[in-house]
Amino acid sequence: MKKLILARKLSQVLFLSLFIYLLWLTPHTAAFFKIDPLISIFSLFSLIMLGAALIIGRFFCGWVCPLGTIIDACGIKAKNRDTGFLRKVKYYVLGVIVIFAFLGIQIAWIFDPLVITARFISLNFIPSFTLALDKLFIFLIKSLNFYAPLYDFYRMLKLSILGTKIFYFPHSFITLSFFVIICGLALITKRFWCRILCPLGAIYALTARFCLLRRHVDKCMHCMTCSINCRMSAIKEDSSYRKEECILCMDCVYDCPDLATKFSWPGKNTGRRTEGSISRKDFLFLIASSFLFLGFKGKEEGLKKKLIRPPGVKNEHEFLNKCIRCGNCMKICPTNGLQPAIFESGLIGIWAPHLVPEIGYCEYNCNLCGNVCPTGAIPKLSLARKKEQKLGAAMIDKFICLPWSQNKECIVCEEHCPVASKAIKTYEEVIAGKKIRKPYVDISLCIGCGICQNKCPTRPERAIKVLP
Amino acid sequence: MNKVSIFESLPKRKISRKGFLKLCGIGAGSLALNNALVKFAFGQEEASAGRTVKKIKGLHDLVVAKGDDPYVMTVKAIEAMGGIGKFVRKNSTVLIKPNIGWDRSPEQAGNTNPYVVGALIDMCFNSGAKRVNIFDKTCNDTKRCYENSGIEKIAREKGANVYAPDDWNVVKAKFNYESPMEGWPIYRDALECDTFINVPILKHHSLTGLTISMKNLMGICSGNRGLMHFDIGTKLAHLTDFIKPDLNVIDAYRILKRNGPSGGNLADVVDMKTLIVGMDPVLCDAYSCVLMGQEPSSMSYIKQAVKYNIGKGDYTDIAKADILTINV
Repeated sequence: MKKLILARKLSQVLFLSLFIYLLWLTPHTAAFFKIDPLISIFSLFSLIMLGAALIIGRFFCGWVCPLGTIIDACGIKAKNRDTGFLRKVKYYVLGVIVIFAFLGIQIAWIFDPLVITARFISLNFIPSFTLALDKLFIFLIKSLNFYAPLYDFYRMLKLSILGTKIFYFPHSFITLSFFVIICGLALITKRFWCRILCPLGAIYALTARFCLLRRHVDKCMHCMTCSINCRMSAIKEDSSYRKEECILCMDCVYDCPDLATKFSWPGKNTGRRTEGSISRKDFLFLIASSFLFLGFKGKEEGLKKKLIRPPGVKNEHEFLNKCIRCGNCMKICPTNGLQPAIFESGLIGIWAPHLVPEIGYCEYNCNLCGNVCPTGAIPKLSLARKKEQKLGAAMIDKFICLPWSQNKECIVCEEHCPVASKAIKTYEEVIAGKKIRKPYVDISLCIGCGICQNKCPTRPERAIKVLP
Repeated sequence: MNKVSIFESLPKRKISRKGFLKLCGIGAGSLALNNALVKFAFGQEEASAGRTVKKIKGLHDLVVAKGDDPYVMTVKAIEAMGGIGKFVRKNSTVLIKPNIGWDRSPEQAGNTNPYVVGALIDMCFNSGAKRVNIFDKTCNDTKRCYENSGIEKIAREKGANVYAPDDWNVVKAKFNYESPMEGWPIYRDALECDTFINVPILKHHSLTGLTISMKNLMGICSGNRGLMHFDIGTKLAHLTDFIKPDLNVIDAYRILKRNGPSGGNLADVVDMKTLIVGMDPVLCDAYSCVLMGQEPSSMSYIKQAVKYNIGKGDYTDIAKADILTINV
């Protein structure tokens, strides 16, 4: 019985399911980011996690991290290889993130494992899973004529977990390929990402160097089984190990033919200090190379298009720095209107949320996006405050608008306007004996929620558009 | 045994010409199969000529109830009409179509009063209905509208089926005269019911003037509904002819005077404490117009309905109609 391994696998599956559950069905999606030292270094919970790493080691990577679990699953059949000095790369990644942070540019969102997983689950997994489930039900109900009980069950699902709307993100293949590449690297060697690239792993590695829990081998026969099998390539050929690389997966305890490997608290024979993971020379080189990036700063300023940001966002620069692109707001937005940007707001703004009124508008009675934002990039607002937020202002294109250009009755925009006193007003004009009402926008009342643009019946271009 | 370094070459797989062709063949074959399957599974569309008429006659043309409790008003008004048993048979399926279009609370008078809906559900089940369906195609997010209108809660408590309509389960409207509604997708459940009870709220509407029972039927239409606004009078008249609701229960307990149909400002809401029940949607709408101090012929949909002889909607018709007013 490999009890310890069983316990680890159980914990991994449990945390992965918890992660998906929180993202899918609850508004408490920020919980996982509160324990992430890379994102919220000063939160109490991440300090507790670092403290725990100081005692036990990198247990987070091996037992908790949802991305680690998925990578483990991908690499189950992969050959294990020695990655050698490449393991240093992750310290460079961390270093670049920290240096950029000091320069006032936040790029942790590119590499944080929790963010990568959350983004994949929100933008790829849940939409495709619900779509597949929905289509399956439609197939069963419609073509096999399975009405009554199954249909009622389907309708109940639609109003609860399945959602009345199947979400759609036009550019989600980019997040998907990013995720697939990271997991696919595990086919080259087990835990490729965790060994070589993960900056969160680097933080834990720096802490775990001093941890108290240690691995001991009594009377080693030098069969090298543990060293070859180690998924982190942490065990050296002489059966000693790099403490900061060990994620406590417990494989070596059971791989050892003599069962001579044990993990224990410090006693009389404490292991020797591990060798340094990053040298002073490396560190200086890192800083010098990072400054090269500075040359590009501000070059794209003029190219940036302004986008409609979520309600309550005031300062674009501050928003982009706080946003970690986890996708929580896009998952929770009931109309599917919040979408990840691609290059619309420059390189710095990739994957940050913006409102696309053609897909969905900002629901008037809703402040969920601010509530789920883990970093406060979208401010948490009371419902009354949120209703006052201006996202932009609507503008009517008289060459497309049906009443203006074709003298047809319409004013769908006025009908849907959620502002109690209507931000869209109408002129009445009598043309050929028919009263036609032509809409115009009262900018002082318009909150830019985009419902007018969403519901405008003209295609392909909408006659009313919200400009940020 | 030795450790394998990452820099050693990764395994390579070669593919022969035959293997490549085989792969292409399999790919094309599975694509074709997939296409056929998708067509088989999702590709059917039917046309329908609308609901068959039953023409149930109540004791009066219209019953107008005034009172303080919407639940009691509904019950008494229907009793005065001859009882729900006239309309709902044993083991039948009933569709109650309230207005749940907006994410507003009952006090804001954007949606039908939940107690009116609750009273109707109770009466239907007491009359032996097998199933009571409730849905509306909402303008705001469906879940929020259902919750905040209070209708979902009360309907679930009373055992009715509340659900979001599915855009894939529609039939195409077919008319035996020329109609702008020809081919419009209509939710199947609106047609496949034994009794259709239309439960609108009387309120201001920017385009049509007032939204009452005929306008409420828009909630069973799928498709790009914004396009219905062009020539809305004719479209609503034909839609009413297509559905032919058996019973119209107009909730005028709280009414929105201005800034409809969505409203939102409590200052625009007036208590009228009235309920109107009738079989002819056009007559109901015409009477409601008079009640609101507007001329029925100024409503384009009433004008068109009279023109196509779908119902009675002239001043003279209202004067001739048998109207019972009760105080509850």
